[in-house]
Amino acid sequence: MKQLPTISPSHIGAARLFLGAFMPLSTEQMEDLLQYCEWRRFNKHQNILNEGETENYLNIVVSGLVRKYIQVKNSEQTLQLATEGHIIQSEISYLTQSPSTVVLQTLEPTILLSMSFAQMQKALEHFTNGERLGRLILTHMYIKKDERRFMRASKTVRELFQNYVQKNPHMLQRIPQKYLASYLNIKPETFSRLKKLQMEKSKLGNH
Amino acid sequence: MESQQQLYRYINQLIPLSYAELEPLSALVVTRHFKKKELLVKAGEVTTMLYFICKGSLREYFVQNRQQITTDIILENTISGGVSSFFTGQPSLYYLEAMEDVTALCIANSDLEKLYKSDVKWERFGRIITGDFLIRQEQEILNRLQFTPREFFEYFFENYYELLQRAPQKYLASYLAIKPETFSRLKKAYHKKMILQSKTKRT
Repeated sequence: MKQLPTISPSHIGAARLFLGAFMPLSTEQMEDLLQYCEWRRFNKHQNILNEGETENYLNIVVSGLVRKYIQVKNSEQTLQLATEGHIIQSEISYLTQSPSTVVLQTLEPTILLSMSFAQMQKALEHFTNGERLGRLILTHMYIKKDERRFMRASKTVRELFQNYVQKNPHMLQRIPQKYLASYLNIKPETFSRLKKLQMEKSKLGNH
Repeated sequence: MESQQQLYRYINQLIPLSYAELEPLSALVVTRHFKKKELLVKAGEVTTMLYFICKGSLREYFVQNRQQITTDIILENTISGGVSSFFTGQPSLYYLEAMEDVTALCIANSDLEKLYKSDVKWERFGRIITGDFLIRQEQEILNRLQFTPREFFEYFFENYYELLQRAPQKYLASYLAIKPETFSRLKKAYHKKMILQSKTKRT
């Protein structure tokens, strides 16, 4: 059994930053909010949630990389690649407490700050402005999802690729090519070609 | 008045509120009518209103290479209105058009904020509808990923059969991302299947 990633003070600091981004919180409020959360640690290539299970957590990635995908016939369609600061979960399953159709899987050793469904209900009731915070988190999730929906509906494969690389320059190294290709809805062959073009372009840019 | 009752029923399905608690809302919502083809939201403009659709239907689309790509179809008893732009304050990427004559109740962003601040119950309502926006959005994305065009067509018509009568075929085809010819073919095949099924049921 591999050693799970260790939680360091820098992780706790990062978690505070991520939470504080949704709504300004005093030090006390932040400590209070963290009481509702739990830390979860995973090795690389571990399933956080399987198809058919009910999602019990809302997660923020504090460190690592998580992939969300749906099994369609014989292929896995990647829906999300979440790194530090991103929220990831099986949304419909969590919100409706019904079996998930998607799978969550780590691609790196990962540390999550998570809130269980039960703790969420408590926080909504007892945490100051809990309902507001809940709404703002959902709003943020909606906006991100809508951006992606629009991109996928309106951009060409090449535009999708370029836009992603521009916004996430380090991810080309970090994410296995097949997952990134699936996320961008690009055939692996096309992906290799676009990647090569991109490398040549950035080399030229350096001169 | 009837429209407001409809809205109250919708709200009460999500969160129990007394008549007195619902009352502040009535001063903030305005009834509006849109003729078929009229725009509720224009791409490039910031949306500051949310609409509760009492009657009629809407079509969300964007324009690319002079073509309208239909991305969503919205029916009665739904809250809509360029939600992303409403949330971000950025110009809308989509148009929202009345697909039939529409009666809607609308509320301004600033008034909705007031309502949220007035009572934690309203804040809760806001959280629940935002969750519903997210669910709807995610379902839309999953459908497009997991279904073949034929499966998506069948899924859509099993759930929204009446739309075959209500919506122009070209919009439905665009929404399902298939050519109008393919749409006609699938529709014919679907009807045949339905007839066969009802015959088997009777025997």
